[in-house]
Order: sequence, then C-alpha cells, then structure tokens
Amino acid sequence: MSDNTSSRSAPSRRRPFFRRRKSCPFSGPNAPKIDYKDVKLMQRFVSEKGKIVPSRITAVSSKKQRELAQAIKRARNLALLPFVIE
Amino acid sequence: MPFYEHVFIARQELSPQQVEDLATQFSQIIADNGGTIGKTEQWGLRNLSYKIKKNRKGHYVLMNIDAPAAALQEMERVMRLNDDVIRLMSIRVDELEEEPSAMMVAKSSRDDRGPRGDRGDRGDRGDRGDRGDRGDRGDRSRARRQPESDDNGSSESKSEGDKE
Repeated sequence: MSDNTSSRSAPSRRRPFFRRRKSCPFSGPNAPKIDYKDVKLMQRFVSEKGKIVPSRITAVSSKKQRELAQAIKRARNLALLPFVIE
Repeated sequence: MPFYEHVFIARQELSPQQVEDLATQFSQIIADNGGTIGKTEQWGLRNLSYKIKKNRKGHYVLMNIDAPAAALQEMERVMRLNDDVIRLMSIRVDELEEEPSAMMVAKSSRDDRGPRGDRGDRGDRGDRGDRGDRGDRGDRSRARRQPESDDNGSSESKSEGDKE
C-alpha cells in the first residue's frame, strides 16, 4: 500500500501546480474562423467589462490573438460589441 | 480589382424597403465606377451595443464589393453625406465569401428553434414513505482495515462488518 501511494504522488511532487496545457481554440481541424461578424464567438473572448481577455488565460496562440483583437475592435466599431459594460 | 467587405448601419426609423433602396442606390455608384457587387445581406434591425447619434437600434447591411479603390471612395463619400447612414466600415479582404455570413447563420438557427411551449405541471409526486431503520453501523475500525488487506472482497467484507 505504501509503495503504491508514493508512485502515484511522484509527478505531483515534482510539479505541485501542474495543469495540462490547453491548446489554441483557433488551430487544428474544424477550428472556428475568426470573423468580426461572428458576435457569439467574439463574446467568448471579452471579459464581463468588455475587455479583450489575455491569451494566457484563453490559450489562444499569439498569431491568432492578434487576429482576434483586430476582429473584436472591428465588431466594436460596428456596435456589435460594446467598448465598455458598466 | 481588390475585394471589399462593406457594412453600413442605417437609421432605425427607416422601413426595410427604404433600407433596400439605400443599398441599391449605393451599389449603383459602385457599378457606375466600374465595379461589381457580389452579394448584399440585410441583417435587419439590430440593437446597437452603444448609442450612435442618439440611435439605439439600426438596420445593418453587408455588401461584398469587387471594385477599384476610387469607386469605393466615391461611395463612402456619398454615404457620409447621407444622414440616414449612421456608421460605415469597409474592409479589404483576400477573397469574398459566397455563403451567408456568421450573422445570417446565427439568425436562422435562432428562428429554427421556435417556441419552447408549455411543459405542463409536474403534478404531485406523492409521499415517499418511511425509509426504515438503518441498523447498527458495526465496528468502524475493523471495517476500514478489512478492504485494504484484500482488495477483491472489499465490498463484501464491508457489508459484513455493517451487519454485525
């Protein structure tokens, strides 16, 4: 019993707060296309204040994050997304 | 000739027919300057996320344009002079998409769902009755030790411990 638990806890002791790296939601097959007209999709990447959520939280790749930011800003200009939510 | 995606928002007070007339009027300008219109999409009356020129709602129109830059500039100039247009945006794209845009897809899927209807009263579920006596829990220290000693019969030995 004792050797059983030690082998199970070994990886967690090496990295105490290990979390599996999420992959980018816009890469890979059947990934959604970044489009300023797709309000529902854009809405998933803005905070409840209306700010663009950083990629370290959403795990969007940096290339796609630049595209996404561009699309969100276009949607804001067309009043599809708000600039601020009070 | 470059491809453009053009979206403009018309004033809320206009009727859908007037908005359509506006769109044809603008596409005429493109045609006169040697361009072509791929498709026009009416997104209908939508709520604006914030007020634009004191409007809370607006008619959205999307146009796919294949025209020289000068034609687009001329159309934009006329649009800015028109008081019925409250916002416009042109974007140059590598290729025009022929299928309905994400906005139209979202709209049609919302219409498909239809009313949810009344699911009715669930009625009285009745009395669940007495659960009966649970009996003595037995010796707890023995019950915990037993499953570790032999893994196969863990559930059996536990229930035996409960009965005692």
